Amino acid sequence: MIKLSRLLTGSALIASIFMSTALFAQEPVKGGTLVIGSTQKPRHLNPAVQSGIATAVPGAQIFATPLRFDAEWNPQPYLAESWKVSDDGKSITLQLRAGAKFHDGKPITSRDVAFSVKTVKENHPFKTMFAPVSSVDTPDDLTAIINFESAHPAALLAMSSALLPILPEHIYGDGQDPKSHPANNNTVGSGPFMLSEFKPGEHIILKKNPDYFIDGQPYLDRIIIKNYKDVTSLVLATDKGEVDMAPFMTSTRDLARLKKNDDLEITNKGYAAVGPVNWLAFNTKHDILKDKKVRQAIAYAIDRDFIVNALHGGFSSPVTGPIVSGSPFAAPDVNTYALDLDKANALLDEAGYPVGDDGTRFTLKLDYIPGFAEMQKTVAEYLRPQLKKAGINVELRASPDFPTWAKRVGGHDFDMSMDIVFNWGDPVIGVHRTYLCNNIRPGVIWSNTQSYCNEKVDALLEQAGVETDKAKRAEFYRQAQALIVDDAPLAFINELPYHTIYNKKVGNAPVTIWGTMAPLDDVYKAQ
Amino acid sequence: MTIAETPHMEPRPEHPAAQAWRVFRTRPAALFGLLLLVVIGVVSIIGPSVYAVDPFEIVWAPLTAPFQTPTAPLGTDYLGRDILAGLIIGGRATLLVGLTAALITVSIGIFIGAFSGYYQGWVDDVFMRITEFFQVLPPLLFAMVLVTLFSPSLVVIALSIGIVSWPATARLARAEFMRIRGLEYVSAGRSIGARNGRLIWRVILPNALAPLIVSATLTIGIAILFEAGLSFLGLSDPNVMSWGLMIGGGRQYILDAWWVVTLPGVMIFMTVLGVSLVGDGLNDAFNPKLRDR
Repeated sequence: MIKLSRLLTGSALIASIFMSTALFAQEPVKGGTLVIGSTQKPRHLNPAVQSGIATAVPGAQIFATPLRFDAEWNPQPYLAESWKVSDDGKSITLQLRAGAKFHDGKPITSRDVAFSVKTVKENHPFKTMFAPVSSVDTPDDLTAIINFESAHPAALLAMSSALLPILPEHIYGDGQDPKSHPANNNTVGSGPFMLSEFKPGEHIILKKNPDYFIDGQPYLDRIIIKNYKDVTSLVLATDKGEVDMAPFMTSTRDLARLKKNDDLEITNKGYAAVGPVNWLAFNTKHDILKDKKVRQAIAYAIDRDFIVNALHGGFSSPVTGPIVSGSPFAAPDVNTYALDLDKANALLDEAGYPVGDDGTRFTLKLDYIPGFAEMQKTVAEYLRPQLKKAGINVELRASPDFPTWAKRVGGHDFDMSMDIVFNWGDPVIGVHRTYLCNNIRPGVIWSNTQSYCNEKVDALLEQAGVETDKAKRAEFYRQAQALIVDDAPLAFINELPYHTIYNKKVGNAPVTIWGTMAPLDDVYKAQ
Repeated sequence: MTIAETPHMEPRPEHPAAQAWRVFRTRPAALFGLLLLVVIGVVSIIGPSVYAVDPFEIVWAPLTAPFQTPTAPLGTDYLGRDILAGLIIGGRATLLVGLTAALITVSIGIFIGAFSGYYQGWVDDVFMRITEFFQVLPPLLFAMVLVTLFSPSLVVIALSIGIVSWPATARLARAEFMRIRGLEYVSAGRSIGARNGRLIWRVILPNALAPLIVSATLTIGIAILFEAGLSFLGLSDPNVMSWGLMIGGGRQYILDAWWVVTLPGVMIFMTVLGVSLVGDGLNDAFNPKLRDR
């Protein structure tokens, strides 16, 4: 029955794809240049040692990865023709495509895969991606067997997008530190496009890889990633048609304005794996905030509908738990802390903080990330009068620049702070870090800066991390999320309104879970 | 025969301030400037108790245009806060920063200028090199660095503006002191044993005050513009409503909601205009050539 239903949804999907192609587009057009506008400026182009959008977008074009993911979270063959997870989940066997070559013409072998896993494990900031890897066996040139100390279901996702770029060992294996390797600015990968010119802060020009291992692709001749100094100039350039595609746009006033431009399409698809969450973090070691009731009261006092609809023009969406709704591990049935000021006031009374003569119970400082006004400063400014309704006096503490904020929050020198943290596809990569007791690491931003510790949550997350059965895994995550939401180390607010704006001429716009952080080998541009 | 002696009465010399006012009041522009400042001052001081709306309170839908709802007669900002309430109370912080910064500017300026101009020699050399050092720094950039270093609060902003804008006043004060120290009444004072401190603060300073008052007045206007500029760049105290904060926060909505930035901008414009007109009037009033006409 399960198989049958899958078959049915599968065929429905295929039918819908055919229909949409029939409706919108003709045959993919070959040739042409796609200009992508971005305000994100990479320092280098090697995603094996660097996280973040700026490196991932060009990185996913230059470097092929073993797998790629479709829009429904299903792994698809890419550099690996097929893959097999052992029954105990402790090893994954990758069968590489025969005849795939690096941009310099050298063949890709399983030894390059082994080398890349090792490099990423040792250097990438997302330590949890390959931490359980014990060894990589290379029985022949095209077979790589990755062995884990314990089952590691997150590994499949960690082999997609820009997370496991297959590096040429004959270039990176020369003993130099991969974080500062000269080849990071002069990359040799095996993806659909190869580096033509990299001017940091200005542009990245990628040209078609003529020997790409997927026949007939990529369709485009060139991709130019053009840097803009701020969102305003990028928006103006997009409006004028200077750029064909602008991913990761969040400014809702600009989105509303660009929506009126008939030449442009606008979509929020392509960000499911990023899972960007805007939240209010509590320092659970703070004298007042260490009381769970106070934190719950604050969560109840926040009107997410107002934030999403009035402040963000309906472009963002509310978040109610650690894992975003687009993920298969989301738990929509946990307590959502729907606005309830009476309950907030009652909880604060219970916690022993009566309203004083001046109409307030206590004062808390509130930090926010500078330079991201709509998601951070504006919401912080909203919280000030809003929390006053529950008798909480909020004092905003502005940070002049990002390092100042990061130092305050990373150093646990804060009461409450607005913060933005990404899910990064698998919860093991982007979610566990916020809640594990052993990830309370002063000085490290986006670790467990809330100093939250619940051993039950730790145990559940650990079980979920090694569970290979997807349904059981989802259940562990559901239980963990219920506990976390009840403990309220964070008040979840909204998902960032990431949108891709693109010209209607662009065909097959990237809408998989990784969006533009996946190979754009099937994107084309109508003439 | 009795000779009716009518003693020759020396007319009591008119007080300099009264003389100045006599000229000042003949300048319509100056009077208009004064009126503007008085109105703005009165509204800032007693306005908030008459129109008692919390400027941080969210009262209506965000970005409502003016004259759409009686709840927020002049519209709302990006959060739905009442613009009118912000305009009324925002003057307090803006004027306070302007006045404080001007006071700091004039204090530092007079101190440095007085010593330089009076003692000359190596004192002058040292003080003038310091002054030049501050003068060659781009003032807005320097103020931004200071505010960034010490977190944006009203005190820091006022201090920063004061610290970057005193060199001009110092130069002016120095020139006045150099001129006056050679005049006869100063030599007379010295000959009857007046010490340097007395000569500087009691003899020369009162006579150098006229141009310094004009310069101080204009400094208030410059300081207010500075505060607005810093706010526009996002460097303002988020916990105190000021016109600058309104402009800084509303800046990114300017294409969709003109009133969010324009209304506080008009208030700043009116204040600075008032200050400049009064400054001009004072300049005329203290000008001895114009006084006796």
